[in-house]
Amino acid sequence: MPPRKLVIFLVVAVLAALPFGLGNYGYYILASVMIYAMVGLSLNILIGMGGQISIGHAGFWALGAYASAIVVTKAGLPFLVGVLAGGVVAGLFGALVALPALRVQGHYLAIATLGFALFVQQMLFEWESFTGGRQGLFVPRPSLFGTEMQSDFGYYYVLLAIFLLLAWIAHNFAKSHTGRSLMALRMSAVAAECCGIPRPKHVIIAFATSAFFTGVSGALFAHLLGHLSTETFSLAASLSFLSMAVIGGLHSRGGALLGGFYLALAPEVLREFKDAQMVIYGVLLILCVQFLPGGLISIVDVVRSRLGRKPLGTP
Amino acid sequence: MIPQLVVSGLALGSIYALLALSLVLINKATDVVNFAQGEMAMVGTFVCFTLLARTGLPLVIILVLAVPIGGLIGIVTERVTMRPLQSAPPINSLIATIGLWMVFHHGAGWIWGYDPVRFPSLFSPNPVNILGARVAENSLGIVGVSFLVVAVLYVFFEYTRAGIAMRAASMNRRAAQLMGVNIGRVSLTAWGLATAISVVSGLLVAPLTFLDFDIMFAVLLKAFAGAILGGFNSLVGAVVGCLVIGVIENLFAAYISASFKDTFAFAIIIAVLMVRPQGLFTRQIAKKV
Repeated sequence: MPPRKLVIFLVVAVLAALPFGLGNYGYYILASVMIYAMVGLSLNILIGMGGQISIGHAGFWALGAYASAIVVTKAGLPFLVGVLAGGVVAGLFGALVALPALRVQGHYLAIATLGFALFVQQMLFEWESFTGGRQGLFVPRPSLFGTEMQSDFGYYYVLLAIFLLLAWIAHNFAKSHTGRSLMALRMSAVAAECCGIPRPKHVIIAFATSAFFTGVSGALFAHLLGHLSTETFSLAASLSFLSMAVIGGLHSRGGALLGGFYLALAPEVLREFKDAQMVIYGVLLILCVQFLPGGLISIVDVVRSRLGRKPLGTP
Repeated sequence: MIPQLVVSGLALGSIYALLALSLVLINKATDVVNFAQGEMAMVGTFVCFTLLARTGLPLVIILVLAVPIGGLIGIVTERVTMRPLQSAPPINSLIATIGLWMVFHHGAGWIWGYDPVRFPSLFSPNPVNILGARVAENSLGIVGVSFLVVAVLYVFFEYTRAGIAMRAASMNRRAAQLMGVNIGRVSLTAWGLATAISVVSGLLVAPLTFLDFDIMFAVLLKAFAGAILGGFNSLVGAVVGCLVIGVIENLFAAYISASFKDTFAFAIIIAVLMVRPQGLFTRQIAKKV
């Protein structure tokens, strides 16, 4: 078996074995690791491949969560349809947000996403008849093939399967014509456009795909949480996503997974710091950009190059 | 009713304008959009607040001291976080400013607490009569201070060596460097100057509401909108854009919807990018390869 496949196999085996011996809270934490890791994948595509930045991913996350909750509770459709609906709604809005900022270079998209997330949060808060507004919205537990999953133990495996599916899609996307074009655009927009790669089309695809992933994650999160309120989807959430993706590593699926672990476990580890916690996250983010721009996953490559081996991912 | 709304809108707009000037200054000099600018202003304002509470100095002195305080915050931040990223891809600097946002935002809550505090105002809210319109003294004072800052900035850019060096660096970094402009110092000056200006804007906005760690977020969003309206590369454009935003915001809140008055900035950003992406005041510049 080639080493890359062996590594993936081992990682999946470890992930599958993790919940054993843990309690209900442990299941919940592991489930949120998977949910965050999906957002990590989405930022992988947007920032790592596309070179675009979003500080409004909580907006897409919220759209996915509310869309799924509404589809499941108001229309009575099954859980998986709700999750898909969450992804599609978020994806459509992703394309819409990218649309106006296409004609200019620079950081306009980032600013637009910041405003967008705020707009979504406000909209969900004000539109009471549909979203429950201030009171929030109750979401049923996830159910598969007619049976409701009461424990997060079973749900974790569903999430793991969906994460692996999305990771596989992201991996193939990176190797596809579209993915490679996107990376060419990131390195030099002018050079890539001269080679006949249309920038607008690819930026929209990157944004829509990324928003779709985030929407799916949001929908799954809604069913894990059981109750939605707009406060969950604040700017702080967007910034946590961004720092998680950067600290995990923006250029690989493994990085997204490490980011998920970081975001879910850091509050547990840093709990005793109370108010200073968020300051520590900020400092970690800055240190990471300065000293480890490849994220935690690049430690593997650093070690391998010390040993005189090629970095993972090169044939 | 409308003249009052317009004048208080101009006052609001000139607060946004100061923050927008900081954003544009840093963007021009170093190609970084500093998302933490509002939070740095907020921290500077809190430092001024502590100074005021501890020493009891008159408010005017505090307003003057805000400039070196802000400058120091900016310079230290540039040295510690931005300088090491000078040769990294620009997106890394952008991410670092988001880290700065977290540090300053939550650091302020950690140090000064999460409860809003009252910040005294330099100017009284009593109305004065100008051409038949009753205008709050407060609004006139805010516009006056902002105008002063802009005037000083104009003199700096037109008549001082450091200012001219900054203009040169923002036009063509490499050429400026070959002419002996110290790019590192330009970046340092930009951060110091920008943060000083933004702390002044913090001091002006704090008395209007209460001072707390969340105060500058809405201001930042509108400063972005104003700066984009002005083209993000033009200092004059940013000022005019923000004044327009301030007036529209006031009219919007009074006649259409008060609860959406913070999100309308987003609508303006989208509209500008759709209709005239280069802003009202700059010509589109083709990027050289």
